[in-house]
Amino acid sequence: MLTLLAKLLKALNSETGAWALAFAFVLGMMVGFTPFWRVHNILILLFALIFRINLSAFIVSILICTGIAYLLDPVFHSVGSAWLSSESWRGVWEAMYSSPWWRITQFHHSITLGSIVISLALAPLVAVGSYFIVVNYRLRIQKWFLKLKIVQALRANKFWAIYSDLRG
Amino acid sequence: MTKQLRQSTIRWPGVGAFFIIIGLLVGFSFLLLDTIIKWTLESSLGTLNRAEVNIASVEHGWVPLSLTVSGVQVTDPAQPENNRVVVGELRGDLDLGELLVGRVIFDQVNATGIRVNQPRQSPGEVYTKLSKDEVSKAAGERWEALKMELPSMDEVMAQVELQTDTVIERAKSNLDEQKQQLKQTREALPSSEQLAEYETKVKELLEGDIESATELAERREQLEELKAKFRADRDSVKAFKTQVETAKNVVQSDISALRKAPEEDLAKIKSFMSFDATGLENITALIFGEQIRSWSKYVLLAYEQLAPMMQRADDTAEEGPLRSEGVWFTFMEANAPPEFLVRNAVTEFAFGETILDVNWQNITHQHTQLGQPTTFQARADNSAIWDSFNLTGEMALKDNGFDARQQWQLKGAKLNDIGLSDRAEFMATMAATLLDSEGSVAVRNGLLDGDASVRLAELKINASGDSRWAELLSQALGKLNRLDIRTEIGGELTAPTLSLNSDLDRQLGDALRSTATDAAQTKLAKLQQDLTAQVNAVIAEQSPELAGLVDLEGLASSKDAKLEDLLKSQLEDKLKDKLKDRLLKKIGGG
Repeated sequence: MLTLLAKLLKALNSETGAWALAFAFVLGMMVGFTPFWRVHNILILLFALIFRINLSAFIVSILICTGIAYLLDPVFHSVGSAWLSSESWRGVWEAMYSSPWWRITQFHHSITLGSIVISLALAPLVAVGSYFIVVNYRLRIQKWFLKLKIVQALRANKFWAIYSDLRG
Repeated sequence: MTKQLRQSTIRWPGVGAFFIIIGLLVGFSFLLLDTIIKWTLESSLGTLNRAEVNIASVEHGWVPLSLTVSGVQVTDPAQPENNRVVVGELRGDLDLGELLVGRVIFDQVNATGIRVNQPRQSPGEVYTKLSKDEVSKAAGERWEALKMELPSMDEVMAQVELQTDTVIERAKSNLDEQKQQLKQTREALPSSEQLAEYETKVKELLEGDIESATELAERREQLEELKAKFRADRDSVKAFKTQVETAKNVVQSDISALRKAPEEDLAKIKSFMSFDATGLENITALIFGEQIRSWSKYVLLAYEQLAPMMQRADDTAEEGPLRSEGVWFTFMEANAPPEFLVRNAVTEFAFGETILDVNWQNITHQHTQLGQPTTFQARADNSAIWDSFNLTGEMALKDNGFDARQQWQLKGAKLNDIGLSDRAEFMATMAATLLDSEGSVAVRNGLLDGDASVRLAELKINASGDSRWAELLSQALGKLNRLDIRTEIGGELTAPTLSLNSDLDRQLGDALRSTATDAAQTKLAKLQQDLTAQVNAVIAEQSPELAGLVDLEGLASSKDAKLEDLLKSQLEDKLKDKLKDRLLKKIGGG
């Protein structure tokens, strides 16, 4: 069972290019910032799994950004409310609201809309920033990081051994 | 030679992982669907209710698409230890076609085992504190205000200035004064001898021979002099008569006052022995307020429970968001069908063993879209606990606010063992009564406006208490056998206020007074006896005086009449006749 799971993770983590990791962080941020049970998150998950996105980075990004989202909810709410309350957009919202397909996206929820807007706005910055961090990490920080006792302890367990063997 | 593998853009294992994840999520949701619905309902209904909502269990059915919710407890935000409403079971059939396009439409909803104002096992959480007054605390303060002592007979006697003594003294004084004045005016009266002398003189003047015209003139002059005396004496007699009349009136008035004085003093003592009026103020609300407020929860159920939820469902976009929950905006077109609608519902209210079905139509918070109000009717005749009951009403949430009206008639409701007060110092229970009630109430812009009558007949109240006031109140309540209470309904929809008016304050005041005076009856009887004896002694003195005055009045009238006769005496004609005869004799005799 562990072998099967490790094989799956190996396949999903086979993409370790800097941009693959950077996109993983961006997609994870979008899932983490927006309310979880939304249709767009299924699409993001599908995108992350089908295309060559690093899954570990994706999951780590989701966890971190979910925590940050809790703090940013008031901002998401303000942005979403402001846009949804805008009279000039009312016609658009009414048209979308009358469509069952758009209703499924739950766009008329203030935090949902606000968090999507902010996620999209931050996406280029996060992508470039993540790319920069990954490249610099591999150049300067990785060796030091791997020497940390806690990291060595984690690498000593059975699952990591199977995972490492498969990775070769 | 380096072998370069050209990787596909699609990561096929990822596709498998996606379907596994989605499959797990769907399967997990499917297995926990009832729990998810339960949590969702508890959360959303709790938000609308502003206090904790508990649901025992939720079951769903696929064909037809239905939902059964059992054991719903809705905490009262104003009294978290109570549920404002409890629903035994609620079952609704959903319209699948409408659900697919995002509308929650129930064709039929049946709710059974509904009870209001039920105690909770543990206090429910209140999410938003209401600012309305705590009724029980206010009631408690008023009970404290009523805790007063009834004054004893001796205390009352010390405070009350008895009037009988004053009346006696005044009567005696008046009599002395009148006697004195009568004595003075009586001295000016002509004596009987004087009147006889007047008669003799008048007779002499009228009957003697007349010799000449000169003598005639002299007699006329003497008669005028006499008449002047008569007039003076007549004025004295009239003055005396007036004085006698005055004295008679004064004495009669005093005797009358003397006779009334003991009764008036006793009435005064009795009134001093009653409770202070401020203590009895609005005792109707004090004793029956809690119970009527509890009954009103049934009458106002539609408004108190459903209307605020409708309003909050509509107002969420304008309210501040709960943390991490956000706000759902609505962009409905004017002619769009409502998103939430219960076309028909039957809610089954339980009153002990009696069940009352209330039929609802068009329950929604989007009446503008629907174009119709939510309506409800209930009619039940010859049930175990009442003869007839009829309730009709409608409500609608419009652009200008909540608009509703309802009216009801209840006849012959048989009530037993209804608790009125369970305070340690005063316990009261309505052992039995027959209740009739009718009224109407409307809501305009969130404000209630209505009135209702509550008639309690064949009333039996058992009350008890250790303190003196509680004991007296208990006795007085025990004497009540009917009561009409007029109830004014007002205030805000979320915090209705009831003001109760009845003749209970008067009835109770009389009963308390009666009870208090019963306790002092022996002393009061003795007091009455003493006062009456004092008064009778004075009346015994004054009555002969009054009889004497009547005699004097007769005497004065007799003298007055005699003088009037004397004043009528005419000298002219007689003298002329005599003088004429005399002249004729002289001429005839030669």
